[in-house]
Amino acid sequence: MDSVPSRKVRLESAVSIFLLAVLLLIALAVFIKQFDFDMGRFGMDAAAFGPLLEGLKTGAGEKPSFDFPLPTGFKKLSEIEIYTVENLYEKIDGKAPLYIESGFIKLFTQRFVNQGDDNQWFELFVYDMAAVRNAFSVYSVQKRPDTDPFSAMEFAYTAGNALYFVHGRYYVELVGSLESSSLSGAMAELAEKLAARVDVGEVEKIPELTLFPQENLVPGSAKLYLSNALGFDKLSDTFLCRYEMGEETVSAFLSRRQSPKDARTTAESYYNFLIENGAVVKPTSDATLKTVNGRVLDFYGTTEIIFSTGPFIAGIHEAKNQQSAEKLAARLINRLSEAARMEK
Amino acid sequence: MTDQHNEKIERRQFLIRSAKAAVSVAAAGVISAALYDKQGPKAAVVTESLVTLPDFSVPSIDGQTISIVKGPNRKATVARAVELLGGIERFIAKGDRVAIKPNVAFASSPLLGATTNPELVAEVVRLCYKAGAKKVIVTDNPINDPASCFMLSGIGKAAGGAGAVVVLPKPDHFRHTTLAGGKLIVNWPVFFEPFRKADKLIGIAPLKHHHRSGASMTMKNWYGLLGGRRNVFHQDINTIIAELAVLVKPTLVILDGTEVMVTNGPTGGSVSDLKRADTLIASSDMVAADSYGCTLLGLTASQLPYLAKAQIAGAGTTNYESLKPILADVR
Repeated sequence: MDSVPSRKVRLESAVSIFLLAVLLLIALAVFIKQFDFDMGRFGMDAAAFGPLLEGLKTGAGEKPSFDFPLPTGFKKLSEIEIYTVENLYEKIDGKAPLYIESGFIKLFTQRFVNQGDDNQWFELFVYDMAAVRNAFSVYSVQKRPDTDPFSAMEFAYTAGNALYFVHGRYYVELVGSLESSSLSGAMAELAEKLAARVDVGEVEKIPELTLFPQENLVPGSAKLYLSNALGFDKLSDTFLCRYEMGEETVSAFLSRRQSPKDARTTAESYYNFLIENGAVVKPTSDATLKTVNGRVLDFYGTTEIIFSTGPFIAGIHEAKNQQSAEKLAARLINRLSEAARMEK
Repeated sequence: MTDQHNEKIERRQFLIRSAKAAVSVAAAGVISAALYDKQGPKAAVVTESLVTLPDFSVPSIDGQTISIVKGPNRKATVARAVELLGGIERFIAKGDRVAIKPNVAFASSPLLGATTNPELVAEVVRLCYKAGAKKVIVTDNPINDPASCFMLSGIGKAAGGAGAVVVLPKPDHFRHTTLAGGKLIVNWPVFFEPFRKADKLIGIAPLKHHHRSGASMTMKNWYGLLGGRRNVFHQDINTIIAELAVLVKPTLVILDGTEVMVTNGPTGGSVSDLKRADTLIASSDMVAADSYGCTLLGLTASQLPYLAKAQIAGAGTTNYESLKPILADVR
């Protein structure tokens, strides 16, 4: 039979463990609940203002206006509207989360109309995305296929009635009411004037874009997924480019991680994710792939390749032909291995 | 060691300390529970009694629930689609006051397909008057400057030209409602007044990709009836769309898949986002209409969770084929 003091100690220990368990449960509940937040209320504070806002002329009693000249023959159709994380949904409804999750700070919009034809109007959307990577991400994931490049800028294209481009931290859309050459000309003129007038300083480069092999690369096909790339929630900050491999289009992806160890861990997690979702390992005899322990998988009739080298996780996504996939993977491995060596 | 421990803490002290700790934990829990806001931000303080949207539906007829008409001309396809369901007279009686709810969510050009096509709205207005409607109103609740939305989308001019009265939302048009058994629509303001005196309700929606919900069709079109900070519902978009499908019982829905916004929805922005499907669907079962409609986006009904939720809630069927759709081609 236990002595009285030892019973006291056990009781004391039991109560302590119970209290600690309660505290842990509370902490766990708070941890889980914090993921269920309302971005509209608790998103990034729109305290930072960029050079676009600095360029707004706001004299006493005046309504704000952009500090760049309007296209010839056009006048403003509406005043400038400014949206923040709080009310972006009022302007773009269900597309707001795409921007907010990518670092959005502010949206400036204004419409302009042809002085001689009311039917010809366009709307300017300037999204302040806080950083060039964020701006490039929303630009690239929305990029339309079969578009024409707009040569005045590095990341820019026209698509029928619209013109899209990245200017430093800004993602800019010019959307016309019609498909017409005069409207397109006016939008191009405004784009160039805006880029010339709004000083964004020295624009940070996006180094990953130079790491993709150039051979067979579809120009302008790069996309940057800041989160949840390829449907995998642990794959963030991931670039994807398309390649024309014979008659087939193949996609290659890469993501720079914090360290080689992090890259290996993420590659392993992504491999397990695909296996759990029905992927099956395929044999490979590709020598280059073997140098990085690359894995080839059949995923419902398409080939997926995953590997890591240095701080990079990379691979091939949704290739119809294993040979094309391995050929492109080998090029990517060589390119990334070289980059990793240069860094050392 | 045990003796030493007992010398420091007496049983009474231990119990007192334990009780204090338990009270602290309980107090933290009670305070957290008291401060936790289950409803989220409220649009306004509710000081009125709750309202219920009228039931605008008409009796169903076997084999005449959904029609799918192929053709590039919306006037021709909508006329044929309604005719195949028994004619406009099945839905609109002489003297009816009809409310038409197009999607006027954005101040964008009709070229973009982000809003309901104005010619389609005008044609439905004309059909209603042809059936003897006493009054037709066209209304929606875009958050962003409704006047600009109706003007730039071309819907205001087209509807007015066909004889409809365009009703822009005003603060006193909203009343609070609660959906019985609803999780989200609880004491929430809805756009109510324009529909209060209506006898019939027709929803007309463009078929679009939607970044959050996958697709925006006839059920999502009722999102425009929500007042307040309705963006909070984007966190649970599938549930809110399903609840709207239960809340609103329209007479007829029309889904315009003539030009489908296949990417970058719901705003689009470029004609490159559009793809011609030359298809128009009319139905008294909006779940069925949307279940067919999503196939034009390359989706199946099972890929849009709100469709299954709406079916479970009794708003209609995802198995549109079981309704034996009436097919026609007016090309």
